[in-house]
Amino acid sequence: MKANREWIIKGIALAVWAGVLVSSGIAFAQHRQYKEAVVLGAGVVDVRTLGDYFEPLKGTTNDCNIYILDSGVPGGTLLIMGAVHAEEPATNLAAQLIVENASATTGRIIVAIHENRSGSTVTRPGDAYPQFFTIETDWGEKKFRMGDRWANPLDSWPDPETYVHYPSGQLLAYMDVRNMNRTWPGRPNGSLAERTSYAFMRLIEEEGVDLTIDLHEAELEYPIIGTIVAHQGALDVAAMVSMMLTAQEFTIGMEISPLALHGLSHREIGDFSDSPCILLEAPEPFLDRVRGVTDEALLLTGQDEFVMKAGEHGLLYWPIDENGWPIDIRVARHVRTIEKITELWTRFHPDEAMVVAGFPTYNEMVELGVGHFFHDPSTVSQDRVAFE
Amino acid sequence: MYAHAGIVLGVMAGVFALARLFKITTELSMLAAAIGGAIAHGGLISPRHIADGAFTYFDVTLIFITATFFMNLLKHAGGVDYIIRGIINRFHRHRLLCLLFLTLVMLVPGALTGSGSVTVLVVGTLVGTVLTYMGISKDRVAAIIFLCAAMSAAAPPINLWAMMAAAGSNMPYVGFFLPLGVISVLGALFSMFFLGWKGTPVQLDKVMAELPEPAQGMAGWKVLLPFVVFFGLVLAGRIWPWTMPTLGLPLMFMIAAAVTVAVSPKRLPIFTVARETVQGLLPLIGVMVVVGILVQIMALSGARGLISLGVVTLPLPVIFAALWLILPFSEGLVQYAAAPLLGVPLILLFNMKGINPIIALAGMAVMFPIGDMLPPTTVVGRATTMAVGFKGSYYRGFVKRCLIPAAFILLLGTLYIIFGNELSFLVAG
Amino acid sequence: MTIMIVYYAITAFFGAVLFWNFVKSKDVQKAILYLVILMPFVLRVFRLK
Repeated sequence: MKANREWIIKGIALAVWAGVLVSSGIAFAQHRQYKEAVVLGAGVVDVRTLGDYFEPLKGTTNDCNIYILDSGVPGGTLLIMGAVHAEEPATNLAAQLIVENASATTGRIIVAIHENRSGSTVTRPGDAYPQFFTIETDWGEKKFRMGDRWANPLDSWPDPETYVHYPSGQLLAYMDVRNMNRTWPGRPNGSLAERTSYAFMRLIEEEGVDLTIDLHEAELEYPIIGTIVAHQGALDVAAMVSMMLTAQEFTIGMEISPLALHGLSHREIGDFSDSPCILLEAPEPFLDRVRGVTDEALLLTGQDEFVMKAGEHGLLYWPIDENGWPIDIRVARHVRTIEKITELWTRFHPDEAMVVAGFPTYNEMVELGVGHFFHDPSTVSQDRVAFE
Repeated sequence: MYAHAGIVLGVMAGVFALARLFKITTELSMLAAAIGGAIAHGGLISPRHIADGAFTYFDVTLIFITATFFMNLLKHAGGVDYIIRGIINRFHRHRLLCLLFLTLVMLVPGALTGSGSVTVLVVGTLVGTVLTYMGISKDRVAAIIFLCAAMSAAAPPINLWAMMAAAGSNMPYVGFFLPLGVISVLGALFSMFFLGWKGTPVQLDKVMAELPEPAQGMAGWKVLLPFVVFFGLVLAGRIWPWTMPTLGLPLMFMIAAAVTVAVSPKRLPIFTVARETVQGLLPLIGVMVVVGILVQIMALSGARGLISLGVVTLPLPVIFAALWLILPFSEGLVQYAAAPLLGVPLILLFNMKGINPIIALAGMAVMFPIGDMLPPTTVVGRATTMAVGFKGSYYRGFVKRCLIPAAFILLLGTLYIIFGNELSFLVAG
Repeated sequence: MTIMIVYYAITAFFGAVLFWNFVKSKDVQKAILYLVILMPFVLRVFRLK
């Protein structure tokens, strides 16, 4: 009798367990396999993949699309990298908005929307991130994957017991071997993130990239926020952009890339290639550890009572009020800053001119919403649609 | 939002208490609390949050299982008895030297891997048995093993709390060696000598008669070889980080386990040992998986934010006065996640107030691992009591015995934070 | 890649041990806990998470 009861309870437990497992398994698989449609704007002349620059990456999760916006007019080459940290969605939205709307009129723009695509196929255990978020467009809702700071362990397993950065030898926490903004300049036989960094370095070399822009978002508790971090090779441009935007449009700081912090794009890309790197940080309250309810609304509106309270206690490095930091503003800051950088770069380096067109204005993006600038993939020829 | 997060926390506490009242185990009561909290947050949530949360400490779980599997194979092969006989034979007349040697043996595994659990699982049983034969009571032995393991996790070069908090606050993990080294070695020596100095002299003949005879064919090299292979692999990864393939700790333990099986003088029942390993670790890994789920629901509902906000908005003098409680208890609650959760905002706060952030973070990073004996996770504490075979009351026996050395370590940590600037000369090292 | 496959094998091995202990456990509370612990092992082996 007792044995029967034991087996009945175990059977029920097994059934419930299987239910949770199947349902969550489906949710994880749907998230990992979901493809975001990208409508190629008129400026896009070619779509390559990262594996074209480093063969061993071909066909892997991180063989991300490389969008080439070429004016055909000789000039400089700009590389824009989005979503190195896939939990910072304003970065891939900004990169995609540029691919769908912008063009180069002098020189070239090269864009990677999901620089570390593996990271966009997983969310962080224990942090309760939503798996997807949707943006209202003029033609309906457009769905995007939410991701993580680190590459997916399904693509990069195991981690070492401690991560030794190449080539500096600096010690970092073990999981940072999957953090692409700690693996620059990368190495050909390293972890997935190291190999991906290495592939981007090859791209920079092969395409003769003159300037690289790496897009990020940060929690308001983090001191490097609302700012431009620049390698010494781009200090003049970064300082001028910061001054002009702050004086005329919105506040944005400027910092010099620290020499002692290794593995970061703004340090290593400039040190190991001919392209200086500029990193942009927008404020994302969703990432703050003191945040309240973790949901899509917080991700998109950036409104959070707990984060505001932390601000009242002087614990934040960036202001926040009840309006929060909506995704439209965060994307607009990135897009507008990039445009301004190209203007100033062209002024400082006329022989490497980057003249761009089709960038929406800051006010347009904030007032109409970023969704207004995403195009309906069902209304264009399918050879003008790429998938992320 | 305050009311919502507060209600969720209240429901969690209520469900936990109710489940315990109905004689449900601690682990399943915590699972019930997590599900209760999830329902209070928003009705039926997606089950993927349960699975997602269950993954939070998956890496650590795998390390626990493989390390214990390796040590259990070695025990079955008779290797552990062999080493204990060897140490007692060599050191039975020199208590001071023996205690110093055992402190060193305890500090190495955690210093290299950043994990106190690895220390306990790899050398805990061995050192614990030697200490027992030195006439030290089981509760004291368990306390020594735990505290030395905590200090080994804190010891440089790898201190995960400091690394995670440094990464989260944009500080390079540089200059920590001496600050962490001084405080962790002091803490380990104090724990070892305070709890282990008094005892009875080792009666060699009696001990040798009591200890099981090593298996026939067992030899020193057969016992040492798996350890040499394990530490060799760890060191090789550090010396040639870019040519050695990344093995990870679980595989290193499995390789050491394979070496143990290969050189064992008798045939080892691998599947049975694996079953015993998982059985023995059930409370430990069960708590880790369940706490992961709990943490996920707390993050989802804002309850985690409420706790975090409550801590970081305390006035600075209160933080100084309460950090010795807050840090260990946060570690007890969320394990390593305490470092980004509280460590980062606190270190940024200290930096803002002009306190040397490296010294302050070193002080904090030594206080966190003390919490590994505290509820709800009690991870390293429970591993310790299991490793040394302590059968008494967990809290009134083991935890109580840890209190004085733990208070000493926490005091050192607090002094580091308060006198961060005065101690900044340590950073140069 | 080889090392990653070895990791899947290790995970599958201990997953099987966990499931066997679930089957053999007489204590239902322990049995349920085995299942909860088993969850990440199964999802990892099937490359879902």
